[in-house]
Amino acid sequence: MIKIKNLNEENELIIAHKDLAHQKEENEKLLTGLIIANKELVFQNDEKEKRAAELIIANKELVFQNEEKEKRAEELIIANKELAFQNEEKEKRAAELIIANKELAFQNEEKEKRAAELIIANKELAFQNEEKEKRAAELIIANKELLAFTYISSHDLQEPLRKIQTFVSIILENENENLSDTGKYNFQRMQLAAGRMQQLIDDLLAFSRINTTDHKFEKMDLSIIVEEVKTELRDTIQEKHATIEAAELCSAHIIAFQFRQLMYNLISNALKFSQPDIPSHIIINSSIVKDSKLNNRKLSPEKSYCHITIKDNGIGFEPHFSERIFEVFQKLHGKDVYAGTGIGLAIVKKIVENHNGIITATSELNKGATFDIYIPTA
Amino acid sequence: MNIKQLNILLADDDTDDCIFFKIALDELLLSTHLTVVHDGEQLMQLLMNETNESPDVLFLDLNMPRKNGFECLSEIKLSKKLNQLPVIIFSTSFEQEVVNQLYQNGAQYFIRKPSEFSQFKKIIQHSLALIAQENTSQPTRENFVITVQNSLII
Repeated sequence: MIKIKNLNEENELIIAHKDLAHQKEENEKLLTGLIIANKELVFQNDEKEKRAAELIIANKELVFQNEEKEKRAEELIIANKELAFQNEEKEKRAAELIIANKELAFQNEEKEKRAAELIIANKELAFQNEEKEKRAAELIIANKELLAFTYISSHDLQEPLRKIQTFVSIILENENENLSDTGKYNFQRMQLAAGRMQQLIDDLLAFSRINTTDHKFEKMDLSIIVEEVKTELRDTIQEKHATIEAAELCSAHIIAFQFRQLMYNLISNALKFSQPDIPSHIIINSSIVKDSKLNNRKLSPEKSYCHITIKDNGIGFEPHFSERIFEVFQKLHGKDVYAGTGIGLAIVKKIVENHNGIITATSELNKGATFDIYIPTA
Repeated sequence: MNIKQLNILLADDDTDDCIFFKIALDELLLSTHLTVVHDGEQLMQLLMNETNESPDVLFLDLNMPRKNGFECLSEIKLSKKLNQLPVIIFSTSFEQEVVNQLYQNGAQYFIRKPSEFSQFKKIIQHSLALIAQENTSQPTRENFVITVQNSLII
């Protein structure tokens, strides 16, 4: 029995051994599996560490991005506020623009109205212009006729008149002994009348030439003009024992030849109308004046004027003639007392008017006369 | 002046003025020979005729039929034969611009016909005396116009 028991035991040992071997095998298999699993785990661990490291980096990146986004968000908040403000401003501006637009629309309407009015006014002006052109054309024709008349009077009228005078003077010279005293006297009167007519034609011509000649203004020293006239009137000045004072005259903006005529007429007038027993004394002055001091309605208050005075000690005239003496053919004395045609002062006035000026005369009978001339300085 | 007879040519369409001129010359007792033409065309034909001797002086009216004194003066001054001929303008009217133009065109003297016959004579006498001096160069502008006043001085 022990044997069997041993056998059994042996069997059991073998079986146990086999189990152990199997277990060992199993364990080895397990170990191999564990090694593989371990390796796998190590690998996985490694991978996880790598991933973790990557995640750390990614995380940092995210943190950074987050930070950036927060910054951006802050900036956007500011930008948003700014935009909101701008929006408000734009709304205000839009409101203003609406008002301005309405205003412009109104103005536009007004302008259209004005334009319509201007078109009408323009048409009216065009019409007036046309009328003026017609008038100007008519004036040119009238002026040509006047020039023709001037020429006729300067030549054709003078010629027969001169011949009447020449024939009379031949008769008086060559037929003197054949004539009665009455005959001689009548011929002398005839000569005087013809001479007077010649003077009239000459003066009328001078008067009309003041209109027709070109007006060329220049700045000129008035004393030069007075000197020229004094030279021209030298004989009469001597004859009348006249003194002419003309110190310190200013320059004036004048048409020289016309102003010479003006001075000639005024000075020769002063000499002609001197008192018989008193030597003629003529004083000529000039100065620049502002009209504000002059109080003359005919002169512009802003402008300055050259004021020329010609004062004499002659026979003068009654104050109520002070305007009339400037009219054509107006005389205060018979032609036998003072020769003349009554055109001289009319010429003077016309010349002053050509200079856009005025002339006045003040006098009392036998107390001399004063002529005041005002012409613009420019 | 009696040494040489002056040959005077007068161009004037006005009969009366021609009569005055003749009377004046007669009364002045000058040794002169007067030829008269009555228009500008006649004047130029006479002057341009080769067979005629040129006059010593021409008294020229401005207002003449067919050809006026201005035209005649220009033609005379352009002609080689005639440009030395002294031309005295003899006119009724006196206009400064006209006188200036005539001086520029080469006229010798300008006379405004006086209305007084004694003055008429004096002026003719004076102008003939000036011509007899045989000085045919044009005078200065101041001495261009012969008036009664400057006739009295000489």
